[in-house]
Amino acid sequence: MHVLTELFENFGVDWPKFLAQTILFLIVYLILRRFAFSSVINMLEERRRRIEEGQLNAEKIKKQLAESELRYEEILRKAHAESKAIIEEARAAAEASTNKEIQRAIKDAEGIIAHAKEAIAIDRQRMVEEVKRDMISLVVNTTEKVAGKVLNQDDQQRLNKEAAQALAS
Amino acid sequence: MSLFTLAAAVPIEAEPILTKLHGFFGLLASMTNSILVSIILVVTLVTWAQRATRRMQLIPGPDQNFFECIVEGLYGFFEGIVGHHMIAKSFGLLASLFLYIVAANWFGLLPGVGSIGWHEHEEFIPLLRPTTADMNTTIGLAIVFMVFWLIWTLQEMGFVSFLKHIFGVKGGLKGFMAIALMPIFFFVGIIEVVSILIRPVSLSLRLFGNVFAGENLLTTMMSLGHTLHFPLWLAHLCSVLLPIPFYFLELLIGVLQAFVFALLCAVYLNLSTSHDEVEAENH
Repeated sequence: MHVLTELFENFGVDWPKFLAQTILFLIVYLILRRFAFSSVINMLEERRRRIEEGQLNAEKIKKQLAESELRYEEILRKAHAESKAIIEEARAAAEASTNKEIQRAIKDAEGIIAHAKEAIAIDRQRMVEEVKRDMISLVVNTTEKVAGKVLNQDDQQRLNKEAAQALAS
Repeated sequence: MSLFTLAAAVPIEAEPILTKLHGFFGLLASMTNSILVSIILVVTLVTWAQRATRRMQLIPGPDQNFFECIVEGLYGFFEGIVGHHMIAKSFGLLASLFLYIVAANWFGLLPGVGSIGWHEHEEFIPLLRPTTADMNTTIGLAIVFMVFWLIWTLQEMGFVSFLKHIFGVKGGLKGFMAIALMPIFFFVGIIEVVSILIRPVSLSLRLFGNVFAGENLLTTMMSLGHTLHFPLWLAHLCSVLLPIPFYFLELLIGVLQAFVFALLCAVYLNLSTSHDEVEAENH
């Protein structure tokens, strides 16, 4: 103990200076602990908590994103399949409709052709009749002029008949 | 003679700076240049901490960021030594010790510290002296720590466990072996008590010795030209150039000594509050 006392005396340690230095350090310690360190540590803790929360949220969002992607792919696949089906259906319907229209057009065309044929036949018949009639009257007129006499009813009928037979052959 | 002169470049005691005050103000007569530096340090550290933590924000500004960086670094460092269970209690003291010692050591490197002063009775009295180059400061720091160490150790372990920790038979020995070795462990306990009592002295002397030696080294280098009777121009040149490498050394030693002091305090705390041994014995 004596050695220590002597040592401290040699190094200029005495109570007032020692107490002054100790109190000054205690002031620093108490102020820093109360006002600086605690608030910094709380802030660091708060930041750590937020980072942790952020990481958890990021994980959650990542998971949700993965799920969304799966759902999106599923929906896309379904939509693709549905669209394919719709296209197939539309194509079949279009084909059916086209066939129907073609059939109807063919039928219409056939009807038109039949009508036309019929009309042509009638016209032809009528024209033939007209030609016949014109030819007969031409024959009668020509015969009258050549013979120089007016043909009676019987002559005319005979000539008509002969001309008709000649035209028919 | 020359070597002795070099070694005694700075007096070992802090010099009183208000010796001429009398009456009521005579109480301030014990005010030394190192106490003045301590007051400056208290104001500086408190102002700095107050500025940095005045408006704490999640996204910190430069001051807050720098302060947080230091606090976070020290917190992680000390937590690794004293353990999670003790860090909340002890961090304030350990970090304060570190910051105070670093600030005190580096303050001594500022121009004017130790070199601006006056002459009294043909003796130079510097206005400012690094506070850790005064044994009153270092022993004060060590004793403050030891008081808190004792309180926290007793809180953590309890008085009986603390005595068992020091004097008890260690290594999980039981039965005859434990009884046979009891005197030896009791003797080891006495050595342990002596080592605990020596801790404040070793802590304070180590810090004081290093800083005081640094101060002496710098002062010696500054005055080497004059001591060796160089021409005046060369002596002035030497007083500027020679200390420069030692300033870098002192910068390093300043932070290193602060780390050593705080680290040893943390280790002492860990040794007395660690539950490893008790848990190992229970298992």
